[in-house]
Amino acid sequence: MKNPLKKFAVFQRSEFLSPRDLLQRAGTISVLFLLVHLAGFREFTGVLNGTIGSLTLGWKLSAFLAVVYIVIYLAFVVLVPVLMLAAGILMVGRWLLRKAPP
Amino acid sequence: MKARMKRILAGLAALILAALIWLPCLHFFFTKPVSAFRQEPGLSPEARQLAAWHLQLWTDPVLRDAELKKMRVSNAEWDFMGRSYLVWSLANMALRDPASKPLYLRTMDQIIDETLRLEKQEGMYFFLMPYAKDSRYVMQPPHSLFLDGEISLMLASRRVVEEKPEYKPLLTERVNAMVERFRKNPRLILESYPDQCWMFDHCIALDAIKLSDYLDGADHSALIRDWLAMARRRLVDPKTGLLFSSFTTDGTPLDGPEGSSIWMVAHSLQLLDADFARDQYQRARKELGAITLGFGYAHEWPQSWPGTPDVDSGPIFPGFDISAGSSGMAFVGASAFHDDEFLKPLAATLEFAAFPSRTHGRLKYCASNQVGDAALLYAATLGPLWQKVESRTGPR
Repeated sequence: MKNPLKKFAVFQRSEFLSPRDLLQRAGTISVLFLLVHLAGFREFTGVLNGTIGSLTLGWKLSAFLAVVYIVIYLAFVVLVPVLMLAAGILMVGRWLLRKAPP
Repeated sequence: MKARMKRILAGLAALILAALIWLPCLHFFFTKPVSAFRQEPGLSPEARQLAAWHLQLWTDPVLRDAELKKMRVSNAEWDFMGRSYLVWSLANMALRDPASKPLYLRTMDQIIDETLRLEKQEGMYFFLMPYAKDSRYVMQPPHSLFLDGEISLMLASRRVVEEKPEYKPLLTERVNAMVERFRKNPRLILESYPDQCWMFDHCIALDAIKLSDYLDGADHSALIRDWLAMARRRLVDPKTGLLFSSFTTDGTPLDGPEGSSIWMVAHSLQLLDADFARDQYQRARKELGAITLGFGYAHEWPQSWPGTPDVDSGPIFPGFDISAGSSGMAFVGASAFHDDEFLKPLAATLEFAAFPSRTHGRLKYCASNQVGDAALLYAATLGPLWQKVESRTGPR
């Protein structure tokens, strides 16, 4: 079955490490972060200081949700800007190469 | 194939260049002026928001119960220390913000009364970790300086803000009992757990005694002087010059200097011996404090005395050797000694890695807990209580 989303350019598979590929990865991480943030996973990060995140969910599940949140959060604040900057650098580089006399 | 390799290499080079640009800039997005955390005079926005969260806890029993239960699963001490730090914070806040004094005093009384009731009803072990029952206290009958010192300082802080006659005999009784036990042990060392004595608890207890002298006109300056001389002589790590964090009743060190203890110890010493306090802070800052890429944090142990993670250090994050416990308490030290060069990057780390949650004017740090947030509130508000006592008695 064809994926209906693929008709939009933004969802089309891009060449590895091309500017669009980097931006797609940044977008995916941002959406994931938005989802875990809205789902309230931040509340479980108390396990970082040895406090149980939720008495109802217990230690293991609380710790798992905390790790999921922390990994995606770090990816969002550290990796996403790097991916976007790298995409910008590549685009500027390509533009300069095109502008350069043959 | 060649074009693909070229594209991948260009992509990797762009990623490395982007990382080199972004990583040194990251802290700018989390750094605020120091005045957002601590203000002179008045209350900073962070202090107000943190306080609003704690005041809500003490007006909503269901919420409070849930928070305290979560901490007690790990450590009953945190339940107790969360109360202490909040009362000490509220005392400072009442002196900073006289218009809100009635609310702060009411909350302080509520916390103190409930803590005293629980101690009386459940016994001293209620606020101690289970190993307190594993062996016999050397000095009988058993007393924990941890509880007596902090409760005394709660009672005294409340009375410094405004006299409450009902608390006077409670403070006098506890202070007299501590002083009597100090006099019974020629080494001037008292237990918090069986044959386990903590520098933190001694300093808090001596602060309480000093406040009690200020309030009721007694004079225990000789005891304080003798204890400080003993500590300098017997309880200092020769390599770092930092005070040990725990020791036995005969003064044998158990733990070396620890970040989770020394930052608060240095602040407590400000009331007892200002020069010694500053010396301890500066040594702790050198041995334990660190700033990387604009983010401040603290180690739990100096390089010369490595330890193993425990309930006080909190998890140690490898690579940078970051201790959650020590980094949290470093706020108290940096704030007490007006070390804004350290406080600002510490606050940046708090915004970056402690996951602040701000709702309806209330602030809590999700990666922290009630006692951690109360200690941060204390760091954001400390000062006026010590200043008021020093203004009459002066630091030794």
